[in-house]
Amino acid sequence: MTELLTVEGLGVRFAGLTALDDVSFRLSEGQVRAVIGPNGAGKTTLFNAISGYVRPTSGRVLLRGQDVAGDSPHAIAGHGIRRTFQNGGLFPALTVLENVLTGLTTETPGSFLDLLLGRRRALEAERAAIAKARALLELMSMGHMADARAGSLSGGQQRIVEIIRTVASEPPVLLLDEPAVGLSPVARAQMMEIIARLTGEKGVAVLLIEHAVELVMASADRILVMAAGKRIAEGTPDEIRADRAVLEAYLGHA
Amino acid sequence: MLMQLTLSGASQGAIYALVALSLTVVYRSTTVVNFGHGDLVMSGAFVAYVLVVGLGLAFLPAAVIAVVAMFGLGVCFSRGLIRPIRGGPHIGFALMSIALGYTLRGIARTVWGREVLPMPRVFDIEPIFLGDVVLTGDALFTIATVAVLLGLFFAMLTFTDIGKMVQAVYQSERGARLVGINVSRFHDLSWGTGAALGAVGGILIAPVSFLHPDLGASFLIKGFAAMTLGGFGSLGGAVLGGVVLGLAEQYAGAYIDTALIDITAYLLIILVLLVRPRGLFGRKAVVKV
Amino acid sequence: MSISPATLRLRTALFWAVPVLACALPLATNPYTQFVLNSMLISTLLTLGFNMVIGSLGQLAFANVAFFGLGAYASVIAMNDLGLPWLATIPLSGLVGAAGGFLASAVALRGIRLYYLAIVTLAFGELLRWLYIHADRLTGGTDGLAIPREGFLGFRLGDDTAQFYVFLAVTVVLVKGTLNLLRSRLGRSIVAVRENEIATASLGIPTARVIVTAFMWSGFLVGVAGALFAAHIGRVFPESFGLTQLIVGFAMVLVGGTGSVLGSVLGAVLLTALPEYVRAFPGMEEIFFGLVVIVVLLCLPQGLASLLRRLSPVFLERHFRE
Repeated sequence: MTELLTVEGLGVRFAGLTALDDVSFRLSEGQVRAVIGPNGAGKTTLFNAISGYVRPTSGRVLLRGQDVAGDSPHAIAGHGIRRTFQNGGLFPALTVLENVLTGLTTETPGSFLDLLLGRRRALEAERAAIAKARALLELMSMGHMADARAGSLSGGQQRIVEIIRTVASEPPVLLLDEPAVGLSPVARAQMMEIIARLTGEKGVAVLLIEHAVELVMASADRILVMAAGKRIAEGTPDEIRADRAVLEAYLGHA
Repeated sequence: MLMQLTLSGASQGAIYALVALSLTVVYRSTTVVNFGHGDLVMSGAFVAYVLVVGLGLAFLPAAVIAVVAMFGLGVCFSRGLIRPIRGGPHIGFALMSIALGYTLRGIARTVWGREVLPMPRVFDIEPIFLGDVVLTGDALFTIATVAVLLGLFFAMLTFTDIGKMVQAVYQSERGARLVGINVSRFHDLSWGTGAALGAVGGILIAPVSFLHPDLGASFLIKGFAAMTLGGFGSLGGAVLGGVVLGLAEQYAGAYIDTALIDITAYLLIILVLLVRPRGLFGRKAVVKV
Repeated sequence: MSISPATLRLRTALFWAVPVLACALPLATNPYTQFVLNSMLISTLLTLGFNMVIGSLGQLAFANVAFFGLGAYASVIAMNDLGLPWLATIPLSGLVGAAGGFLASAVALRGIRLYYLAIVTLAFGELLRWLYIHADRLTGGTDGLAIPREGFLGFRLGDDTAQFYVFLAVTVVLVKGTLNLLRSRLGRSIVAVRENEIATASLGIPTARVIVTAFMWSGFLVGVAGALFAAHIGRVFPESFGLTQLIVGFAMVLVGGTGSVLGSVLGAVLLTALPEYVRAFPGMEEIFFGLVVIVVLLCLPQGLASLLRRLSPVFLERHFRE
């Protein structure tokens, strides 16, 4: 198993306030690592620091050994670390197919002039991207929704389309911020299946923030527990279940 | 010379302060920047003009009626045109307010055409000479009126619950609704107050300057410049920004070039943006989309 | 709604049928209607440029009126002082407009958006108008500049029919180009930035570059419209680029439909044709366009293009191209 993502001593301080304090972990190909913790534990800050939306004040984020910490969000996404958003990041006015196509932008070459003049080079790249997007939608049983406006979908469908869009360019590392929030049990099962397929078949490394315990226990290989910006425990689901520090962190905030 | 410039700058600045403050009132309580505000200022002045010159009313009752009428117009605008598009994209509010402004301007132009109208003087008192400084009745009246109005306004915000309401609605409309504030009515009243305050500015400027339909457009830019300078969204900043702008115009016109008076406001907007985007007193100038 | 290949073919046929049929129009015009037709083509480019930033990118950039003036002045100054033929000044004016667009986008990239951007660009536009008046050695001040009258490539610039064909060709090329852009990954990215800028960056899309490109292409279109306008009126002066142009542009975008190329064309053609008679009275133009914007915002926020879309899939505008 190749190691894809290495986070070393990552810290974020805003105006004297420590939002993230010296967090380290490794993530290998095909692995799912869940990040859990009470609200305000710094989970989303961790995601933001890795994906470039918040500039880390200390530490490193290595993708296949290359430090990407401090790069802009689009550059980090370009390197191959892609994420979803807790509140949903779809473009409601675009169709499902167009949304997935935006996820393939970095794979669709062509200069401004190529696009403006509709040159063959650009058109071929566009057709290839459309074929790929349609195939992905079919694979995830969303083919029939391709021409629907993303804003008209149900919450669960939107989450699934967002994941399809995020993985369309086959990024090696995927950060999922509460992908199951607000989903029905059926949609939740579908989500777990999708995550399993991504890691099992494509070898994607997944970092997952999730509150749904059964989803975390069923899909995570390892779990990172955070509280107040710090890592308080780390281990396999079974180890975490038996860990007293974890219980205290949750009970202390309950 | 400097004293004289300072006096005329302050009287001009008092009016800019009023315009900027009235823009900020609407912005703070409804998050909408009213691009038609200049034309509300102009309309207030025109209504007063019609009452004084057309109907022969005395200045004060005419001014009061005009201000009340503009308050009503502001409320109607909020209720009839802004409320129906709440929930749509923000750009819609801007376009709506622009459209209202143009409609008002068009109406003024249809009635008065290209004429410029002199408003009768309010006070025919002899100018007072202090050394080589001339104190005109208009300048004193303008400064005094604005000072009293501002005093009342800020006292109301500080000593009544209205200030807390403004803050609550500004921070979270949903939260304000939860604690029992009728947000829709609050918005209507804010629009009304903004329109009325702006109208006072228009009425004050009418006797010293000429009235014409394009008056509003220039006041809008001055108001924006004052707001930008003071820090977008800050009520006190808008007032100070207005005074600074009034003074800057006079000084730049006298010491550098008279042509600069017209563009001081534009230059200030661009300068503030480049040097200190959050303005002199603002916490944060960037408007979240 | 999916679009069948037959519909796609019909759409292509319709697209090209419009300019081909338009070529025959000068046979049926008098000097006045010909003048209005030429104005429509200029308005089309202007609206297309406005719509790019207001509709597709969702930003309030008031400076576009200023770019229109910039393009017009650039064209006349290039003819007078550099001795360039008018046709050669068209791309030049476009580039000047694009440079203006670049400046406006630089402002937008400082995190100054929506209202604040509107105010800054409004100030910028008014500042330019002040310059047109005061930089009189270059611009002729309030009297403006007349364009030279000598002919070029066999037709006189003053000949409205000859102008019509040049305007038509330029408009068709730029409408087609804009459609190509909007149907490409760039068009998707522009709309994506409008809908959710943060999520757009998470897909590896350089949002700053997208914003700059949209502003510059908008400036290019508006600048070209300026060059056509200079030839159309035969003279440029500061008054032509005043604030009234702004509400006219907004009205055309809204009536046609924000973010829609078809809408830009419809809005421009309809609103250039309709208010000719209201221009006679001072103030009527402002009332007319003001009310049009209010009514459309209240009753038909997606514009006429949305009605046509409901009528037939031929009018669907998509952001991809198969």
